[in-house]
Amino acid sequence: MPTITIDPVTRIEGHARITVQLDEQGEVQDARFHVTQVRGFEKLCEGRPFTEMPALMARICGICPTSHLLASSKACDDIMAVRIPETAEKLRRIMNLAQIIQSHALSFFYLSSPDFLLGMDADPEERNIMGVVRKFPAMARDGIKLRQFGQRVVETLGGKRIHPGWIVPGGVSHPLQAQQRDQILAEIPEAIRITRSALRWFKGQIESFRAEVRSFANFPSLFLAMANDANEISAYNGWLRFIDANLDIVADHITGTDYMNYIGESCNEDSYLKSTYFKPLGLANGMYRVGPLARLNMCKSAGTMQADEELAEFRELERHSVLSSFYYHYARLIEILFSIERMQGLLHDPEILGKNVRAHASPNKFEGVGILEAPRGTLIHHYRIDQNGLIESANLVIATGHNNLAINHGVLQVARQFVRGKTLEQGMLNRVEAVVRAFDPCLSCSTHAAGVMPLDIRLLAADGELLDRLLR
Amino acid sequence: MLLIGYGNTLRGDDALGPMAIERLRTLLTGAEFVSCHQLGPELAERLAESDLALFVDAADGREPGTVEVKRLSPETVAGTSLTHHVQPAALLALAQTLYGRAPQAILVTGAGSAYDSEGLSEKGYEALIEICRLVPLLVRDFPT
Repeated sequence: MPTITIDPVTRIEGHARITVQLDEQGEVQDARFHVTQVRGFEKLCEGRPFTEMPALMARICGICPTSHLLASSKACDDIMAVRIPETAEKLRRIMNLAQIIQSHALSFFYLSSPDFLLGMDADPEERNIMGVVRKFPAMARDGIKLRQFGQRVVETLGGKRIHPGWIVPGGVSHPLQAQQRDQILAEIPEAIRITRSALRWFKGQIESFRAEVRSFANFPSLFLAMANDANEISAYNGWLRFIDANLDIVADHITGTDYMNYIGESCNEDSYLKSTYFKPLGLANGMYRVGPLARLNMCKSAGTMQADEELAEFRELERHSVLSSFYYHYARLIEILFSIERMQGLLHDPEILGKNVRAHASPNKFEGVGILEAPRGTLIHHYRIDQNGLIESANLVIATGHNNLAINHGVLQVARQFVRGKTLEQGMLNRVEAVVRAFDPCLSCSTHAAGVMPLDIRLLAADGELLDRLLR
Repeated sequence: MLLIGYGNTLRGDDALGPMAIERLRTLLTGAEFVSCHQLGPELAERLAESDLALFVDAADGREPGTVEVKRLSPETVAGTSLTHHVQPAALLALAQTLYGRAPQAILVTGAGSAYDSEGLSEKGYEALIEICRLVPLLVRDFPT
């Protein structure tokens, strides 16, 4: 039996580490965000049948297994060279929208609302979701209800909330029943009410977060997201497009393995998270952002009525693209609204109850790529198989990797504002935590067990001497 | 009455909770049953609507095969994040704070011996049998 050795294993821990490097003059020269967990999915899947990939890859994450399930199944569709039935595609789109709703609700209400409601400088012992439950119970109830709506849709379609198995290579395993459709439709008005209420509240708070808007990873960058002919938000189908900070298209119509010509992946010596970059500009200049902010900057219209009204208001924030990463939170709420409306439209489509939901085929290609917009951003699964259909290699390009350079840049921006001399101030820890959280990185799911993001910030002198350290 | 069994069905004896619920469905009438991977805040509203809640979980660190029963009270647990697993007592506190009431509650735990294999161990199975014998008696005798 082959043995997989993953070395080192001693660095498996749920903490992020940040290093702030000073120059000879004592000024902040660089700041680095390190992810210290290794998962190894790209290696451990080698030798397994490609048809196992959706179920296996879903285990990457307990918050967004559905995203990996979908991207993986799309890669398998590509290997089989099948066009899945229209009903199956619509059902998969509903599943993806449900995933976006539940994940965004988790990010906004459970993880980030304590910063907004209780204040960035509130005591961390109080600045957590239980603090929100005590002081703002109505908001907490709404957050739970909205996330529950997304989870219920996932459960209704896929049989269970975490690691559903319904999405398979070639489509989905069984059709939707009328009773299930009606059950989801009945919950939509309440989900819309909660989202609109949260949007109203958040827009009313923006003025009090001017300092955060200015300093939270607020800089020009490229943006990457899926695009479509209608120039609407595209979460499931379409091609990849890069735009710049002026909203000009930099690269377009990128499909399949062509992503490798545009997306470079750089391994870091000090982090298990790769940094991806826009290849034509190189690592030094190729920083880009993905996720809700990128998707709203990319589209001309959301594609649904209420979300379009909100998008028009969002666009008034800046003359060209919206650049402050603080607005990821705002973008998430608009995307929730879009997802609910789009889901409603799909459920009213008479074809949604169609019985032909799966195409069957053997492998017809040795390579397949599945691309999807996951809640946190563009997700790519790329597999190569041998003549027996066994995985030879897998490459996963995940949203947090796409955003890694921007997260690093954001941390540097905060460090320059808050590091004074040879000490780290508590205010910096709070802001670093919040700027990283704005991107909703995957590690935020795995390291929020204590209600705060466990961080280890080290301040290093030019010669590498440890000057100060803050731990949470 | 709400019976909630939780645990990972792919992790050996951790499946005790969900497996107990599947059996209890056939043994008890007039109850609601929930079988889930882990406890989440979404259960708080249902708890607030119940008179009695009975949680069934696997436990470690005790003599394998033994079953323990204890009454639970709402309790705010430091560090509760609501993103992943929520402790039963914290869930009761959440029901109390957000929805105005928490039910009377019991936690039944069965001690297993193997969590890295498929299916229940021999000791895990013993605990399952004991849980399914005990729970109908507890429910019958519990003063509500």
